[in-house]
Amino acid sequence: MKKFFAQTYLWLLLTMLYAPIVIIAIFSFTEAKVLGNWTGFSTKLYTSLFSGGVHHSLLSAIENTLIIALVAAVISTILGSIAAIGIHNLRGRKRQVINTLNNIPMLNPDIITGISLFLLFVSLGITQGYTTVILAHVAFCTPYVVLCVMPRLQQMNPNIYEAALDLGATPMQALRKVIIPEIKAGMISGFILAFTLSIDDFAVTIFTIGTDGLETLSTYIYADARKGGLTPELRPLSTIIFAAVLFLLIVINVRTYRSQKQKEVKL
Amino acid sequence: MRSVLIWILLLCGVCFTSCNRSEAERASILKVYNWADYIDPTLLDEFETWYEEHTGEKVEVVYQLFDINEIMLAKIERGKEDFDLACPSEYIIERMLRHDLILPIDKSVIPDSINYFGNVSPYIVDVFDKIDGYGKNANDYAVGYMWGTTGLLYNTRYVSEDDVRSWSSVWDEKFRDKLLVKDAFRDVYSPLLMYENHEAILNGTVSRDSLMYDASDESIAKVEKLLKKMKRNVAGWEADFGKEIMTKEKAWLNLTWSGDAVWAIDEAAAVGVELDYTVPEEGSNVWFDGWVIPRYAKNKKAAIYFINFMCKPENAIRNMEEIGYVSVVGTPEILEYVEESAIEYGFEEPLDLSYFFEGADSVVADPVLYHDRAVIERCAMMHDSGPRTEQLLEMWTRVKGDNLNNGMVIFILVVFGSLLVVGLIRRSRKRKQMRRL
Amino acid sequence: MKWLFKLFTKRSSWSIPYFIFLLMMVVLPLILIFFYAFQDEQTGAFTFKYFEKFISNPEAANTFVYSIGIAIITTIACIVLGYPAAYILSNRSLCRSKVMVILFILPMWINILVRTLATVALFDFMKFPLGETALIFGMVYNFLPFMIYPIYNTMQKMDHSYIEAAQDLGASPVRVFFKVVFPLSMPGVMSGIMMVFMPTISTFAIAELLTMNNIKLFGTTIQENINNGMWNYGAALSLIMLVIIFVTDLFSDSDEDRASNEGGII
Repeated sequence: MKKFFAQTYLWLLLTMLYAPIVIIAIFSFTEAKVLGNWTGFSTKLYTSLFSGGVHHSLLSAIENTLIIALVAAVISTILGSIAAIGIHNLRGRKRQVINTLNNIPMLNPDIITGISLFLLFVSLGITQGYTTVILAHVAFCTPYVVLCVMPRLQQMNPNIYEAALDLGATPMQALRKVIIPEIKAGMISGFILAFTLSIDDFAVTIFTIGTDGLETLSTYIYADARKGGLTPELRPLSTIIFAAVLFLLIVINVRTYRSQKQKEVKL
Repeated sequence: MRSVLIWILLLCGVCFTSCNRSEAERASILKVYNWADYIDPTLLDEFETWYEEHTGEKVEVVYQLFDINEIMLAKIERGKEDFDLACPSEYIIERMLRHDLILPIDKSVIPDSINYFGNVSPYIVDVFDKIDGYGKNANDYAVGYMWGTTGLLYNTRYVSEDDVRSWSSVWDEKFRDKLLVKDAFRDVYSPLLMYENHEAILNGTVSRDSLMYDASDESIAKVEKLLKKMKRNVAGWEADFGKEIMTKEKAWLNLTWSGDAVWAIDEAAAVGVELDYTVPEEGSNVWFDGWVIPRYAKNKKAAIYFINFMCKPENAIRNMEEIGYVSVVGTPEILEYVEESAIEYGFEEPLDLSYFFEGADSVVADPVLYHDRAVIERCAMMHDSGPRTEQLLEMWTRVKGDNLNNGMVIFILVVFGSLLVVGLIRRSRKRKQMRRL
Repeated sequence: MKWLFKLFTKRSSWSIPYFIFLLMMVVLPLILIFFYAFQDEQTGAFTFKYFEKFISNPEAANTFVYSIGIAIITTIACIVLGYPAAYILSNRSLCRSKVMVILFILPMWINILVRTLATVALFDFMKFPLGETALIFGMVYNFLPFMIYPIYNTMQKMDHSYIEAAQDLGASPVRVFFKVVFPLSMPGVMSGIMMVFMPTISTFAIAELLTMNNIKLFGTTIQENINNGMWNYGAALSLIMLVIIFVTDLFSDSDEDRASNEGGII
């Protein structure tokens, strides 16, 4: 009985959470310009989303978003992993300082991060565009990468590295053969996290994007939303993004679930 | 794995270097800063080929949008952005002139055979003469683009023509939560100021033109009172979404610009909703948007060519068809187009448009697009309020922004109070525990 | 050359590039906010003018208070709705499947604007008027996952022997909940509050979309000022926001273990 109530509650909440998304998904299969009118089943919005034409600006916004997210995620994964190894080997005061600094971007609301970076670029006289957006994204993604990699380093047996050195490996070799395989899982989840954070970001992007005509998906949506209507093509797009995220998350979770099981078996 | 990494790094490198434009590349770029939905986008591509045809130089148009005049001004004045062209409204042109923010436009750069600057209606040239640029004539620094009036867009099913004869309809109880107001304080302030001074205008003690300079504390207070009455009816302050909400019939009245109204009427008609537009009898303001070359522009030549290109009658017609606003171009081709399309839409009443088109004292036209002389005569152009702008803005935010009510304050106090009490109780308990230990 | 090599091989020095990066991209920008907030726009001299303006200008101050109110309501609603959900999710006897957890976290990964627009579409669809109620609904809808997730996380890591001990000692289920489970889940609730309260005050664009520009929250005020070229005033307002963050951060004192807790975010 108790379980029944609990389950009902969960499903009610889920219905509430997903109702808007479901509505968008359903109405992505009709042509009506105004959301809420059903004018018969059609996949025209999906085809026109990919065929370009009038909405080429939407396509280029998607392209920009993906490029920025990829570059920012790669840079922050590299920077964050190296930093994590460094921090792991730091002790005392120094470690505390860098940990505190690492926490700041995560605690700051996006708007503060955005404005502070905007002021930085403006006062340094840097023209805002691709570079500044990527720098800004790296700035708020890297701390999360560090957080993903750190626990892996802590789990690692420190003696393995020393042993490798004792056995005659150069530090570089030891890094490649010992440390990286150990932290690879953390790096991958850090990369994915950074990638999704970057794709998702709106507040930081809008302050650092400049006026060179660069648009990402979220600034495009924002401009569109201010006009009160969602461009019809955004409905299939949101549906696709949603499905992709769902798929990605399930894959990741199944993977971690399996690897956990394997570990348990090994133990 | 490693090669992939190197490859990605290389990619990043290429991307970074390619993003920093060199001076030479900048010379072939034209940065245009315009209102959203304010041009036929195919004209941008056409301009690139047209420009190359006539000058032999390549140009790429980078097109940026704004939806509030002040944001555009801030980008240029404070951010020193290097836009080559911007399209502000008349009072901003006035302010930019006063602050030396725009460069003169040398119309003689364009060869006579393709020079269309002369197509601008004399009415617009006259009005631009009235722009008060502290000795500088606006006609040397700006070329008109579109113009229109501020008025009321209404849903004919719920609002009758009589209702909207006067501005007082905006605080009529009948329309509670059914009014949308354009989020532009001057376009709301000036009509209501005219409402307030209606009798004085009729008596002849005050002229409409002089009213448009009036931003005294007394007038601001009077208008604020009216606005606070209006506020109860306001469903939303729109920057650009008025058409959408009106079409969906979620609001019945919209204080907006004539050009937006044209578009909304068209879109609503497509889904069977009938909207109309009127300028209430107390009068209103007439506005103009014009092209200017901001001070930090880097491609002046292409900018002048672009303005000229927009004054070509065919292009003006295409813009009008696309965006619904009225172009400043007043050639016979335009008049012909206006008459033809008006007859096609079934308008019959002839209007006196001789103020705009030469000799057109009785032509059939869409009255929302081209107002009759009588309507234009009860409108006047707004001016920049200079240092008084701040007071106006403060009044506007007072009217608009205040959602705080006593309930909310009490609620917050209660929450913080209880947090404090809980904290204190906990602390005293802990102390007791410590003592026991 | 040799010391360079040594520096490179010493692994602790690998944090140096990131340290420099943090100084450049995190610390310096924050200092700039201070700098701009206390600098006169025209003369460049030190001034308190912008803070005086904030206090004397009813609009900005009222928006600030109003946002705090809305944020409190949203946070409370999120706790009320989210806590039971997190409790059920973490309780093995009530909910076994891990998929449910994923379903609750999933909306966190969708662009906040798309989510908001979807909410607006839903209200539209249901003929629900946009306004204050819609705003609170929308905010709760947007931030509920951010409340559920941290609470779920701490509850899952909770040491069950405490609960068993309490039960063995004869405590009633209600008593067990209030004396053991609830206090132990407090760190999760705290970080949930942080993740809901701050964004509600600071987000911009969302409130406008949900209320047709009728209601502004503090984030919008800041953004508008920056957009209108009033950088110094905007910076001063941001500084006020930073102070609020600092204060709420003092309330939640679990800074140290957060770093280790959030290891597996996905």
